Amino acid sequence: MEVESGAVERTAGPSVGAPPSRKRERQLVREAQAGSGAAMAQLYSTHWRSAYRAAYLVVHDAAAAEDIAQDGFLAAVDALDRFDRRRPFAPWLHRIVVNRALDWARREALRRKVSRPESVFEPLPPPAEIGGEMMEALKELPAEQRAVVVLRHLLEYTPGEIAAMLDLPRGTVNSRLRRGLDRLRAVAQAEVEMETGQ
Amino acid sequence: MRHEALDKVLREMPIPVPADAERRGLAVAEAAYAERRGRERGGPESYRPSLPRLTVALSIATLMAALLLSPAGAAVRDWVGEVVESPTPRPEHELAEIPGGGRLLVQSAAGPWVVQPDGARRLLGNYEEATWSPRGLFVAVAAGRTLSAVEPDGDPRWSITAAARVSDPRWAPSGERIAYRSGSELRVIAGDGTEDRLLTRSATAAAPAWSPHGGTDLAYVSRSGMLRIADSDGAGEFPIGLAGSSVTEIEWGGGGSTILASSRGALRLQEVQPSKLGARPRVGPRRELPLPPGATVVGAALAPETSAVAAVLTHWREHGTRSSVVVFGPGGNKPRRLLSVPGSLGQIAWSPDGRRLLVAWPFADQWLFLPLGRGQGRAVADISTAFAPGKRGASFPRVEGWCCRR
Repeated sequence: MEVESGAVERTAGPSVGAPPSRKRERQLVREAQAGSGAAMAQLYSTHWRSAYRAAYLVVHDAAAAEDIAQDGFLAAVDALDRFDRRRPFAPWLHRIVVNRALDWARREALRRKVSRPESVFEPLPPPAEIGGEMMEALKELPAEQRAVVVLRHLLEYTPGEIAAMLDLPRGTVNSRLRRGLDRLRAVAQAEVEMETGQ
Repeated sequence: MRHEALDKVLREMPIPVPADAERRGLAVAEAAYAERRGRERGGPESYRPSLPRLTVALSIATLMAALLLSPAGAAVRDWVGEVVESPTPRPEHELAEIPGGGRLLVQSAAGPWVVQPDGARRLLGNYEEATWSPRGLFVAVAAGRTLSAVEPDGDPRWSITAAARVSDPRWAPSGERIAYRSGSELRVIAGDGTEDRLLTRSATAAAPAWSPHGGTDLAYVSRSGMLRIADSDGAGEFPIGLAGSSVTEIEWGGGGSTILASSRGALRLQEVQPSKLGARPRVGPRRELPLPPGATVVGAALAPETSAVAAVLTHWREHGTRSSVVVFGPGGNKPRRLLSVPGSLGQIAWSPDGRRLLVAWPFADQWLFLPLGRGQGRAVADISTAFAPGKRGASFPRVEGWCCRR
């Protein structure tokens, strides 16, 4: 298992460079719809890490996040012909990924309620690097609040866009966001102070 | 709260990424994309009918709809590639021999039974599940939190106690490992009962399937519905395609190049290229076998050496349920129908030589042995009482395995 940080995401390799312009992305979608495997691969490379990261931050399980990101791209491939090229690709993909992550997290919570198996294996300790405590705090939030926080603060969607993505009233999005942020506030502040030495 | 601070932490906090996850995902997406393009090139979407052709097509469609909606439409709906069925054979009242030979492992309410080629039966003990070792020298059995290996005469060899209830034991073709579920964990233990280890906590309730090549690869379905292959020695694992969270059974066969994922509504075949020199298998295209509208998959099984699939399908009708046994050839398109009976059929299993099928018919309390080629099928009645001597109204037993391919 590798550990990836956002810094690595922004600097390493051609697949993680700046996102393509809207015009270029429309062109890639058009080419992929017309049968260009290279265009499809470029769309994948451009968006995989954000999809994986969003899924991971909602489910906190690397294998599940990989499956969910994978599933998102398979759904995208399946529905490519129906995709409206005038719309940006990322929100479409993120909508699929975050909803599936949310479904997974709900199922997992239910499964844990029904049976909490004993195990001879200890869970892995949380990472000690920056973000470790934040990760733990995020994990403690209900999945619905996690999803909204991730969509707002990682993927930078507006509450209106999030409401459309999750098929929720905007007021519900705002209240989930507010409750989530209230619980994360203290941890986030401590993280930043630790990083800046304040 | 300073939102920029939270944005920064969310974007930059380190998160674990399974090694090669991005590349693996790309391979799967590319395979799905190539499959989709292939379908479109050969499929109906690329066909643009001219107006006269369209009119003729609509007339035919109207006629077909009228036929399908009429009582006689039942026959049309039943249409499959080829119908080779013969009448249901007259049942024998005792299993005097296993047609085609081999030994059966049968799970009844009292426990698993070993049935010898001459029909002789022996109850192994009060176990809840059982599976053959690859050459039939042992049987792995589970009861509560206990996993054991016993000899076919019932003599115990070893036993372990797991942390949670044991289910779905599956002995690897190499004989060296047994995969099993304990609670929500998928675990692997050496064939001698040592080296028990956790493989994953994210498997669904569908039993795992070993690679028939005798290596260490084990396929399972994750809770998010992804078909995954894991190296049972812990060298890694990767997703190979979406199977769906409703998958009830997976089987790895077709000489090692095909994984069948069955759910109530679909039969999907995922091609995988066997690994060489320990490298992971390459992922090939996935295809869905065509099922008649409204059919439910009751059971399905991959042939021992080819990617032919035998399936039991149930169709609900106004005048009652009907079930059929169909076989999809390795090409996978139009199936042959071997049998169609009123009521519900149960599970299906291939004989070790791939020439016969055993089909459970709980409704008639029978096992049906159907030949794939020419020849008469055989039926054996009173199956429930055969595996519950002295008890009336016993539950119908389940065939756990037909041993052995080698």
